[in-house]
Amino acid sequence: MSEQVGDTASTGTGGEPGGGPTRRDPLSLLFQPGGWRLERRLETRAVHELYATLIALAITAVIIGLLVIIAGVSPLSAFSSLYDGAFGDRESALETLVQATPLILTGLAAAIAFRAGVWNIGGQGQFIAGAIGTWWVYDTMPGLPAPLLFVAMFAGAAVFGAVWASVASVLLVRYGTNEILTTVMLNFVIDYGLSWLLSGPWQANNTPYSQTERMVESTFLPRFFDDSRLHLGFAIALVMAAVVHFVVRRTTLGFELRAVGVNKQAAAYKGISTGAAIIAVMAISGALAGMAGAGELLGLHHRINFEFGEQMIGFTGIIIALVARLHPAGVIVVAIAFAGLLNGSTQMQIGTGIPAALVTVIEGVALVLVLLAAVACRYRLRRAAAHADESAEGPG
Amino acid sequence: MADTAQSGAAAPGENILVAEEVTKVFPGVVANDAVNVEIRRGEIHCLLGENGAGKTTLADILYGVYQPDEGRVLLEGQPLDLQSPRDAIDAGIGMVHQHFELVPPLSVIENVVIGTPAKQWLDLTEARRRLEDFFESYDVHIDPDAEVGRLSVGEQQWVEIFKTLYFGVEILILDEPTAVLTPQGVEELFRILRAMRDEGLTIILITHKLREVMALSDRVTVLRRGRVVGTVDTADVDQLDLARMMVGREVLLQIDKAPSEPGDPVLEAEDVHLESDTGRGSLDGLSITVGSGEIVGVAGVSGNGQNALFDALVGVRHPSSGTIRIAGQDTTETSPYKIAALGVATVPADRIAQGLLMDFSVKENLVLGNHRSRQFARSGVLNRPRIDAFAAESIESFEIKTPSASQTTRTLSGGNLQKIIMARELSGMPSLIVAHQPTRGLDIAASEYVRRRLVQERDRGAGVLLMSEDLDEIFQLSDRIAVIFDGRIVAVAEPDTTTLEEIGMHMAGASSATGDTR
Repeated sequence: MSEQVGDTASTGTGGEPGGGPTRRDPLSLLFQPGGWRLERRLETRAVHELYATLIALAITAVIIGLLVIIAGVSPLSAFSSLYDGAFGDRESALETLVQATPLILTGLAAAIAFRAGVWNIGGQGQFIAGAIGTWWVYDTMPGLPAPLLFVAMFAGAAVFGAVWASVASVLLVRYGTNEILTTVMLNFVIDYGLSWLLSGPWQANNTPYSQTERMVESTFLPRFFDDSRLHLGFAIALVMAAVVHFVVRRTTLGFELRAVGVNKQAAAYKGISTGAAIIAVMAISGALAGMAGAGELLGLHHRINFEFGEQMIGFTGIIIALVARLHPAGVIVVAIAFAGLLNGSTQMQIGTGIPAALVTVIEGVALVLVLLAAVACRYRLRRAAAHADESAEGPG
Repeated sequence: MADTAQSGAAAPGENILVAEEVTKVFPGVVANDAVNVEIRRGEIHCLLGENGAGKTTLADILYGVYQPDEGRVLLEGQPLDLQSPRDAIDAGIGMVHQHFELVPPLSVIENVVIGTPAKQWLDLTEARRRLEDFFESYDVHIDPDAEVGRLSVGEQQWVEIFKTLYFGVEILILDEPTAVLTPQGVEELFRILRAMRDEGLTIILITHKLREVMALSDRVTVLRRGRVVGTVDTADVDQLDLARMMVGREVLLQIDKAPSEPGDPVLEAEDVHLESDTGRGSLDGLSITVGSGEIVGVAGVSGNGQNALFDALVGVRHPSSGTIRIAGQDTTETSPYKIAALGVATVPADRIAQGLLMDFSVKENLVLGNHRSRQFARSGVLNRPRIDAFAAESIESFEIKTPSASQTTRTLSGGNLQKIIMARELSGMPSLIVAHQPTRGLDIAASEYVRRRLVQERDRGAGVLLMSEDLDEIFQLSDRIAVIFDGRIVAVAEPDTTTLEEIGMHMAGASSATGDTR
């Protein structure tokens, strides 16, 4: 069959050389002499990346549209009800921002670690560690005045998240343990640790449920509007995005962690301690994910129960960071878009009968295509070089 | 040329494989520069040259791994368009790489048939019969069902060679096949290669070892810095001739250089031992001294401890014993950052892997390593106006050709990459400069520029340790010449009182008083 393809492809190039059809592997058939050739670009420009990302998202929409058609629904009505649920009116738009708040922080957490070439897949665990840290401060320092208590609780969340992430980074720096494995495993460890806390030391009195007491109202994060759950955490997330951008682009620490991310060897030869950079970036990453936990606890839930980690906010942050190509501003945009998908999916399910789980499919497809686009835009198509044509003119 | 092609198969002794004006450029390096090589049917043809001479690139082009940017490859007079190794194997050209391409958990026989095209029947019985015949006829004893991962390195090489021959190649390319073998293994390999040649196989052998060329080859092509120096019949030359061709006698522009006035030592290394734990070589009792205001050239064939010496001086690896003193301070256990702070400039051999962050901008690379200094940062925040000013100044004074200081470094040419490193390293008025192959892969103009800068730094009072495989460069720049062999300095000489040949023989480890000939 592949010879068939070979013959068709070669008709455009003026016939095969004399010795009968030559064997080629399938990929090279795409790049016959005189045809097109894939070539690596010397430099990838930001516009290439932007276009490639937009094309990838457009293809995502087409694929999802086809799935919706297969499910027997008009894609137009599915997408419009999805959009209405996400951004259709003031209430749903604000609710989308509520959902985006922790995603921005876990997205930033993943983005800064990935910038340094450290694959922190433990955002989920660090998110839970942050909630635990918040509750611990709340539980052990009841006497603190309100403003100081807020600072202490967020700091507690950041420290717990950072410490939890540092378990993996210390193992990595000290023993070369693969951080992908350790961070994933640590997610399970803290998940079960939380279960134990909720059914033991921190379990609310007089209740069969695995959950803490409800926090006192003075610890609730202030809300911006009376008619929305949008809380101060959203502003904190935006500020942290600016801080991350500043640290990465403008500080010596950011310089070093980017250097470690692109070339550990050269960084080491130029006196940068790669170990110190990895420890620092994992601590920052864990702290950001931990703050997401604090925001969710203090802004929305006001108690930790066994459902606390169920939304997989840490894992979604990884996808957001990758789709945003690790840019902090991009993380904000993508996090809001993903939150919109989550928020709108309920309305879509009610309105059209399409399961809300489609959102997970959208996230997955978008991730794969955006990553493919990132690779693809490093290449360009060019007409094969002249010397290749000569071989087609051999005796025959 | 195409006319002769019609005559069909070439008779023994005629050209079977020809590289015609082959040029291959990698970012920053011209690996092959209009290379012409003619391989005759049924000969053992050595490609000889130092590391970086372009031998492996040429072989990879003949094997379809790379496509030439210019020029072409002719097989039996017909142009050959190799898009992949698969094409090369189909055309009858096989290659055994320096690093084996075997699947350790699979058996010998499974490894041999692994490249069978998908549409061809897999006949294990037939494969086994041929494998056993092959091993028997060459008196090699390997169990076809043995797990490859458990075989010795020499046995694995046999599996590689037979795997290549299994697909019926007529031309076998071997890349540094003796690097992994014991002396006995080398003898065994040579015996069988000769037998294969006598049966009509054409063999191309890549090496940088003169002894092997003399022992094995019919003809030899010498490459130097991507160019062919010449092709000769092995019977007509001796090791000395080849050494001369290999290191070159190209007359370069003379550099005006006053006699040195060495001052206090800036580098004293004493009996330094460094284990080979990172694959970058080892040191075995190396001692060397560099005074301020002198250039000490370290000559040697690559792989004799140059990388290890560089790593130890930079501080990325620490010696297991011995001492290194820089500017009077013991730096044996000091970190790279603190060593650099003592006024040590380092120019690595692999500027892309060790000297630069190719995805960073030019200006970021210009401050890399100094980015924490008071000049460029205050309390952890980069001072961008100062970095911009310094970058503009460096780009001008070192004539770095770049569209802007914000340009991605990856897009610059090799000469400009090296200028970035020089600008950065020389900006702090270093007292010691450790330069490893500073002109490798550069064109003449850029090379001269780098050399002149090094002499200027010497005249300013810096001590320079220059490691190079280019003997012309060593002779041209050095006030003293040290020869490194097997992780030790085996000879020290003055350029005026020694000869290229003498240094060359020390480099080969052949004429040393201790008789260490490996």
